[in-house]
Amino acid sequence: MRLELRWSGVDQLVAAPATRLAGRRLEVDLDALRTLASADPRLDGIRLDLAHPGERCRIGRVFDVVAPRARLDGEDFPGVLGGVARAGHGRTLALAGVAVVATDQQTDNAGTLAVIDMAGPNAALSVFGSTHNLVLSAWPAPGVERPDYLAAVRLAALKAAVHLARAARETEPDRVEVLELPPSPRVPAGLAHLPRVAYVFQIHSHQRPTGVDEGILYGDPVRRMLPTVVHPNEVLDGAVLRGFMGRSCTTWATQHHPVIRALYAQHGRTLWFAGVVVTVAHATEPERVRSAFLTAALVAHTLGADGAVFTKIGGGAPHVDMAQAAARCEALGVKTALVVEDMSTDGSAEGMLLFDFPGVDALVNVGSSQEPLTLPAMERVIGADDLASRLGGESRATYGTLCGAIEQIGATRVMAEVR
Amino acid sequence: MAARTLRVVCYVNQFFGQLGGEEQAGLGPQVVDGAVGAARAVQQALGEAGTVVATVICGDNHAAEQGERAVTELVTLVAAIRPDLVIAGPAFLAGRYGVACGALCAAVQAKLGVPAVTGMHVENPGVELYRRHVHVVQTGGEAARMLEEVKRLVALGLKLARGESIGAPAPEGYFPRGVTRNVVAGATAADRAVAMLLDKLAARPFTSEVPRPAFPRVPAPRLVKTLEGATIALVTDGGLVPRGNPDGIEALNATRYGAYSIEGKAGLEAAQYDNPHRGYDTSWVKQDPHRLVPVDVARELEQRGAIGKLHETVYSTVGVATTLAHSARMGREIAEQLRAAGVDAVILTST
Repeated sequence: MRLELRWSGVDQLVAAPATRLAGRRLEVDLDALRTLASADPRLDGIRLDLAHPGERCRIGRVFDVVAPRARLDGEDFPGVLGGVARAGHGRTLALAGVAVVATDQQTDNAGTLAVIDMAGPNAALSVFGSTHNLVLSAWPAPGVERPDYLAAVRLAALKAAVHLARAARETEPDRVEVLELPPSPRVPAGLAHLPRVAYVFQIHSHQRPTGVDEGILYGDPVRRMLPTVVHPNEVLDGAVLRGFMGRSCTTWATQHHPVIRALYAQHGRTLWFAGVVVTVAHATEPERVRSAFLTAALVAHTLGADGAVFTKIGGGAPHVDMAQAAARCEALGVKTALVVEDMSTDGSAEGMLLFDFPGVDALVNVGSSQEPLTLPAMERVIGADDLASRLGGESRATYGTLCGAIEQIGATRVMAEVR
Repeated sequence: MAARTLRVVCYVNQFFGQLGGEEQAGLGPQVVDGAVGAARAVQQALGEAGTVVATVICGDNHAAEQGERAVTELVTLVAAIRPDLVIAGPAFLAGRYGVACGALCAAVQAKLGVPAVTGMHVENPGVELYRRHVHVVQTGGEAARMLEEVKRLVALGLKLARGESIGAPAPEGYFPRGVTRNVVAGATAADRAVAMLLDKLAARPFTSEVPRPAFPRVPAPRLVKTLEGATIALVTDGGLVPRGNPDGIEALNATRYGAYSIEGKAGLEAAQYDNPHRGYDTSWVKQDPHRLVPVDVARELEQRGAIGKLHETVYSTVGVATTLAHSARMGREIAEQLRAAGVDAVILTST
């Protein structure tokens, strides 16, 4: 399957009477975008703000971040925004340097709000400190329940992402990224010596049950999902979205999936990318056990992999869930490497890990989300007018509250070092 | 230009402060100007780099018996002297002394923002209690080579006081603190994971970024009587609490547990209970608490005589993001209460 990501770089984002891409300047018709987002009866009031790198500005109440993408040969974000159809093939417009940041106006605990800093030391810790951000804030219509509100906010963000990317329809891309992976058994004879590597992608944790409109895989809320093989291009092209409780995880990171890209980069050189298995972390023991052995079976016996990279989502239970599946792989002779969070809640090395399985010994970490961080004073706060006085001043927060500093799927360079 | 001479306060016990032996162990905190007793070795090691402006002395028993109160008294005394550095001990193998040194160092760091260092033998209980919070230099068991040992404390203390970066535990001579610190690595976690996997696949050496936990294996003790004669307790970390959560058990990172009577109850009525646990989907156990704490079935077994007796107190906490230290403490406390109540066995339900 072949996917072309047609990249256009943007280094200026401005409000304008019509949405268009003029060179590297993205002009946005904010009124048209607001009208587009307002069409949802679950929302009552939409506000759009622009935030730029280097501005002394903090975005508060961050819910999720979406990369601008528009498909030329298929449905956009199929199953959630567009109709249910396969993604991952054909041509997709992609903007670099711009992000759609959706805020959650129902979150009030200032201490746990996710923020993005556009300047200062924290801007360098998150990719969203260096992108031009279209910040979308929407309020729920009276009587709208929280899951419906969040579904509406996410839908509005996806619409905005497509609207922005479509501006690149008439322009030549800066570069075309071709992502092509043949069916996994067809290895050319000359490359048959390469180790076959699979990626096991935990896309949701059922520590919280998903809502009816909380589409995660092609619009499916993955409630009782069994491990499933997908093509890596599907993940990069909008088939997988983040659930509503996505701590240390953004849809943006999934759209740029760092593990899939790392495996693509090595494909045909040091390894053979054998495919992707998507899984969910379950709430009960029989589901966990079933998912673990089915995952290992797909990796070892269907994809015929020699090795597998694992990532998790959510908190402690999914961390153990991932390790259980990895242990099953090791038992079948598949070597594993896992990306884990530092799970310690008191900064002690002894609490970093919640499992100890034979063979599950190659562990990379994405840092501790509990470690304190200082938020310096800012001149402007977006997405949280009512909390501006508190959020704009210098305050203490944690790495976990800085959106984009820690991405559980391994997109960032923050790591916890044992001293 | 000569560097400013640092103001150093030493802390010693009654013995190393030359006030007497065990018979003087009840002495309360006191301050003596300049360096006395073991603090003289600190002054010698400091040379021109600093001056021991005062020696704070406290009897071992007073420190041990008064606990936090003694630490507060000592911190107040230290604060008045406005030191740049506190050097406590070294305490070698002396247990009460080591614990006091660790507690004082931790407190002056936390409350006064003053760097502190101490030294102990590996078997001193103060090491395990305080190495996470305080730089504890490894010493021998006895004071035979006092000056040499003190020189190492002073060297590390000077670095701390001057704000110099501290190297890894082994070369600097302090006990690993077992703490983690976020740093920015050279590559993304995804790239590092793929590289590590390729090393593992090729049987090349690789270094995991997370130490394997040394969880001690706890063997299940044998039940020495038959179930028909045994008293069985129900314990859970799944978050069952009476409505209103009277003990304020935290939704995550819990430090508390509750003991709830089930006397006279044939079962648990859903309306009377709640569940603050934030680590799993609690809707099913809120609907029917027996899915978490099976009092109903246990009562039936009790009535049928399959078990001797159901213990009338259920212990409950929230097991999510709980630190190992608090888990171990709560487990120990619950076990002590169960043992004192004559309980023979426990059904522990987890989530």
